[in-house]
Amino acid sequence: MTQTILAPLDGKVFQVMVKPGDTVEEDEEILVIEAMKMETPIFAPCDGAVKEIGVKEGDDVLENDILAVIDSKSNEV
Amino acid sequence: MRSYFEKMTTFGHALKKGRIKSTEANLAGIKKAEDEITEAVDRVKLAGFSEEKINARGQMTVWQRLEYLVDPGTWRPLHTLFNPMNNVEETTNVIDGIGKISGKWAVIIGFDNKVMAGAWLPGQSENILRVTDLAKRLNIPLVWLVNCSGAKLTEQEKFYANRRGAGTPFFRHAELEQMGIPVLAGIYGTNPAGGGYQSISPTILFAHKDCNMAVGGIGIVSGMAPKGAFDIEAAEEIIEKAKQFKAKPPGSVNVHYDETGFFRYVFEDETGVLDRIKEYMKDMPAYAPKFFRVADPKEPAFPVDDLYRLIPLNPKRVYDFEEVLARLVDAGEHMEFRPDYGPEVYAGLCKVDGFLMACVGNRQEYLGKNYPEYADYPGMGGKLYRQGLIKLNEFVTLCGRDRVPIIWFQDSSGLDVGDAAERAELLGLAQGLVYSIQQTDVPMMLLLLRKGTASAHYLMGGPTANRHNAFTIGTVASEIYVMHGETAAVATYSRRLVKEKEAGRPLEPIVEKMNQLAEEYHEKSRPLFCAKTGMIDEIVPMRDLRTYLVAFAGAAYQNPKSICPQHHLMLPRVIRG
Repeated sequence: MTQTILAPLDGKVFQVMVKPGDTVEEDEEILVIEAMKMETPIFAPCDGAVKEIGVKEGDDVLENDILAVIDSKSNEV
Repeated sequence: MRSYFEKMTTFGHALKKGRIKSTEANLAGIKKAEDEITEAVDRVKLAGFSEEKINARGQMTVWQRLEYLVDPGTWRPLHTLFNPMNNVEETTNVIDGIGKISGKWAVIIGFDNKVMAGAWLPGQSENILRVTDLAKRLNIPLVWLVNCSGAKLTEQEKFYANRRGAGTPFFRHAELEQMGIPVLAGIYGTNPAGGGYQSISPTILFAHKDCNMAVGGIGIVSGMAPKGAFDIEAAEEIIEKAKQFKAKPPGSVNVHYDETGFFRYVFEDETGVLDRIKEYMKDMPAYAPKFFRVADPKEPAFPVDDLYRLIPLNPKRVYDFEEVLARLVDAGEHMEFRPDYGPEVYAGLCKVDGFLMACVGNRQEYLGKNYPEYADYPGMGGKLYRQGLIKLNEFVTLCGRDRVPIIWFQDSSGLDVGDAAERAELLGLAQGLVYSIQQTDVPMMLLLLRKGTASAHYLMGGPTANRHNAFTIGTVASEIYVMHGETAAVATYSRRLVKEKEAGRPLEPIVEKMNQLAEEYHEKSRPLFCAKTGMIDEIVPMRDLRTYLVAFAGAAYQNPKSICPQHHLMLPRVIRG
């Protein structure tokens, strides 16, 4: 089962901490979006592996753009 | 009112392993910064003569006296790094805080007898006035450990006179006494002139056998007839007089216990003085905590050490305020006021050590495209908008009505700006909040979690709420400035940049000035600067933050000047509906 992470707000991708294939844990910071002078961290919604990263640092994103897709670990079990 | 307070709505979540993994660097950064603060505090503690040297003279240091006097585990220091006049001694030479003595909260202050035998130094009177204001705001006793050699004469022009100068604390002592707030004083060492008034102005004087207090000391008596200049003959005369008074300083216990009776008691040992103060504190008027508690005290639902992971050192990083609050209040329980209105601010009732406390804080997250409702741009936490200001005006007013002390948690970048914000009446609503705070006569404290910026710093219950704010504590993430340094550099130099560009001159010198200004802003907003200048009363390690909330709650409810019966409280009913 996969979980898609959407941008919660318009902004610029400030930092990407993971790459496809990386293992992540629930609530781990995987991206940061900069908007309105603030940095909003984006967290992994579940344990799993990064299947896809849809953005790179410096990209402009709109609310609900796909940021990343996580292969949920719980599904493997 | 058990149904309201015994079990309130729970909030907050335990940290998950992913969050723990992501926040290792933040935790390390905060601890490193806290270590730097500890080093600065240690320099204050080690100022002047060593403990060994003072002990060899048969005296205890002020720190030893405090340790003996204050109930273990209850000392909450304030103003440790306060040094607004940049004294080379790195201290104002008084050590103060709140703590329990014989189970009762008191404001406690002592002269540092290691530094110039407890002399008056620049900035000290401002420090003392903050302390007397604290006793007044919390309506709790003020306990002095007097050991004051008088003015540092080479710098007297910096503190002797003026509206808030070294004589003003004596008026404050009188004011406290006239309000029914006792000032107890243990008297040690030599206390001439200013030290004499420091000794005589409290309510009850507990003297050590070797102490003295006097209108004037040896120095004044020896040199009180100016002759226009000094010569060798005059020097010899001074030596003779000084020897004479050194052998028998004026105002000893022989005079002020045996004759005037100003000293209520005299004790052979230094600890005897402190033991009698403890005995008197047992008899101080104070409600038992059960009189005002709304529930049994409980620890927070989650470890307070989580704060090292939840509060980002990076001032731009968004975080969840409720998760922070859940680590500070009892049992992770609350009653939130108007949760569907003014989402940029949290307002609610919580319990701290079983006492009902009002909590207000800036939320940090993105607020969505439909908020603020008056503008075509989205809102971001940390700012204040129309609804938030209205909500806080209402909440503060109800707190005043219900006599509930308020804890402000500030982390704000300011108010919304622009014509839309002006049309939405933000300026009037902001000053309206100032009005609401001013007319809400309950003790307040501020915990500056991170940013205190622009007028939001004024509005969120800070030191500018002078009569109401008991004290302000900060963290190593705290910073205070009118605006960010880079914003200030742009505001200052943008027109100059245009002129230089149009004149065909190089821009580098202006850019250099802009960077210099931004750097100065940074330096002058850091926690150490804020503590040194008094914008923050103490920089507190994250793990100790709750202990200050507990002290504030206990002190605020120890002997309140007015009370609201629990069954007459309106705020919980307004929240429940």
